[in-house]
Amino acid sequence: MSTPAAAPPPPRETPPAAHAPVLRARALRKSFGKREVLRGVDWDVPAGRVIGLLGRNGAGKTTLLRCLLGLSPLDGGTVELFGEPMDEPGGERMHRIGFVPQTFDLFPWMKVRAYLDFTAAFYAHWNKPLAERLLGDWQLDPRQKIGELSQGQRQKLAIVRAIAPEPDLLVLDEPVASLDPQARRAFMGELLGLMRRPGKTVIFSTHITADLERAEADITLLRDGAIAFTRPLAELRARLRRVILARAGGWTQAPVTAGLLKAMLAGDEAQLLVEDPSTDSLRALAEREGATLRIDTPTLEDLFVALA
Amino acid sequence: MNALWQLWLQPRRQSPLPAAFAQLLWLGGAVALGYAATAQAAAALFAAMLFGSACWLWFMLLGLALRGLCRPESFLLPRFRRRLALAGLVEIAQWVLLPMLAAALLGVPHALPGGAGLLLLAAVGFAASAERYINLLIWALFVLAGWKPGLAWQVGRALLASPWSAPLATLLAALFIAMTLRAMLRIDDAEADTSPLENAQLGRDRWRATDAAPARRGALARRIADLFDRTSQRAMDAALARYRRHPSQRLRRVLVRRLLLPHDNPQAIALRLLLVALLVSFYVVAVMHRQRFHASMVGAYAILLGLGRFPRLGHGMRRMRPNLADLYLTLAPATRADYQRTLIDALWILVPVTALATVVYTALGIVLTHAAEPLRMLLVALIVGTGASLAALAVHLVGPESLWGRTLVNLAVTLGAMAAYWGGYELLGLLGDTVGALALALLVLSFGIGAWEAARREYLRRPPRFDAPLA
Repeated sequence: MSTPAAAPPPPRETPPAAHAPVLRARALRKSFGKREVLRGVDWDVPAGRVIGLLGRNGAGKTTLLRCLLGLSPLDGGTVELFGEPMDEPGGERMHRIGFVPQTFDLFPWMKVRAYLDFTAAFYAHWNKPLAERLLGDWQLDPRQKIGELSQGQRQKLAIVRAIAPEPDLLVLDEPVASLDPQARRAFMGELLGLMRRPGKTVIFSTHITADLERAEADITLLRDGAIAFTRPLAELRARLRRVILARAGGWTQAPVTAGLLKAMLAGDEAQLLVEDPSTDSLRALAEREGATLRIDTPTLEDLFVALA
Repeated sequence: MNALWQLWLQPRRQSPLPAAFAQLLWLGGAVALGYAATAQAAAALFAAMLFGSACWLWFMLLGLALRGLCRPESFLLPRFRRRLALAGLVEIAQWVLLPMLAAALLGVPHALPGGAGLLLLAAVGFAASAERYINLLIWALFVLAGWKPGLAWQVGRALLASPWSAPLATLLAALFIAMTLRAMLRIDDAEADTSPLENAQLGRDRWRATDAAPARRGALARRIADLFDRTSQRAMDAALARYRRHPSQRLRRVLVRRLLLPHDNPQAIALRLLLVALLVSFYVVAVMHRQRFHASMVGAYAILLGLGRFPRLGHGMRRMRPNLADLYLTLAPATRADYQRTLIDALWILVPVTALATVVYTALGIVLTHAAEPLRMLLVALIVGTGASLAALAVHLVGPESLWGRTLVNLAVTLGAMAAYWGGYELLGLLGDTVGALALALLVLSFGIGAWEAARREYLRRPPRFDAPLA
């Protein structure tokens, strides 16, 4: 069965205020020994958006996020946060940043309550009712020591601690990896609630693409140590199509068409990821190759598999 | 203000007992200072000693607490560094300025140099907890003082009499504090661990209990760790090649051992012995000036060095549990007991390795201290080292899991082994080398083998555990 491809809409316009970047990175480089992880990352993160940072394992997502926040020393490049150079973390602008690290193994001797009290003391604004509600909802015992919490519970605590100051920029590194489905849903609810307020920006790296789809995030792909692209999810969905050409006897060479981003051969099928495809040219291609044509909208997971 | 309060609370929360002890010392110093006001020089000296001890202990605790807090993630807290500096000033005001001002107001002589001395002690305590290079510097000063005690005494007296001593002590304290804070506030990338069961730092536990943070490695330590890792890789490659050529149960056990204890291959063992021997030689020659020690002290120290591996093993076995599930599936044992037996067989190598290390360290001690009864010392070291390592391995296989429990067990095994060395040495002195050695072997080895066999049976009876341990 073949379906005509939808005409690609123009790129999504964003309000003028949202164009001012909250975070601007230029030519970021970072190596661990001889392994170069970041090879000149240029990235602008506009205000008021949810950015999903995607990339394969080892692509450098965690390194990039840590470098952006000054938590890992850079080998080269510059970072600006809220318009100021980010040489090292500190200062008043930290009131505006929340961060959830990939693994939370800090302060095992502290009790949950003591940890939140300690953290809250540093912030000018701390939404205590929100923190208390999340502790209750996520069944975190304030009297328990952090060292006695499971990895998932620590992750929840890290999220509570990052959300409670209601920061302007929330950076989350694999925030839901250790969460159970209920907690994941609750977390996404809180995140979307936070994002409904003007001027709030969220960057989160994840492999659970369904969460990004739910948040209608802009997708940034980190590949080969650099940002491959940043696009709104809706635009990706509108512009990209999965084209499946099937014929008996299979394929020795991937068929080529205008806008082809990636081709994968599997048995009798050739799966092509095509940007702004023209239905007529695809039909002509199918006819020329003696194949049946099917066109559908790829899921974000399909896109990730194809592009990462 | 609230953040300052929270920072002030941290050392008191982390180490409440030592913190209370330091406060008591400080209070004692305050009381003694009160007596010193009635022109009692001895009370003033006592007050200075109490304040000095309190200062040193307190700032060491403070350094430990701050080292745990100063992780990159904490630097994201708003104005963290500035508040940390303010909290530090509050501590200096209480522990240094307040006693100095009180002493000055009460008319106690040398209040200002005393205050500067307190500040220097505080800085030394602070540095001791956080930055090992500063420790080395202070240690080097002690080494020099030990080398030329007369000169050190003259320098000390001249410093006390000099009007420059107070500003010099203050400057030195400022330098130590600045260096410590610089190291503490530096943002480093985290290092990967080799194996939870191993430790290339010659007995120093990389994971310090107070903050769960890995100790930072210097360039030399990294080179040494690289050397150990290279020997591990070579040993693993060789074991793998041998197993492929002639697959057998014995070679399979060697493979598992190379995986679990990568630094217990012959080359790494030799390297470790060499490095410890170098350090001990330097210490005995440069610091202790080759003083003559009683044989039981030399042997007890050798036992202490030899048994240093086991606490790491106990801790590592718990940390390794989730990863061991992978090994379990790879080995695909017929029964769970078979799997437990494989682990025991792999770990058993630590018994001869520890006994060998104890004998080598004792031999080194014999050479360095010109011991009078070398054969007797070596015999006792061999017997006690073997028995103690059997007992240590036994308690770390089936012993308590809690930190306190493990600490107590470690202490009991180490002190028991040191006492056994002393008793054994005396026994051989009484009964002669041959009869005494036989009697000691009967006593110590029967205890060690008994403990080991009991632990072995219990370990085989227990099901394998793959759950992640609580911190």
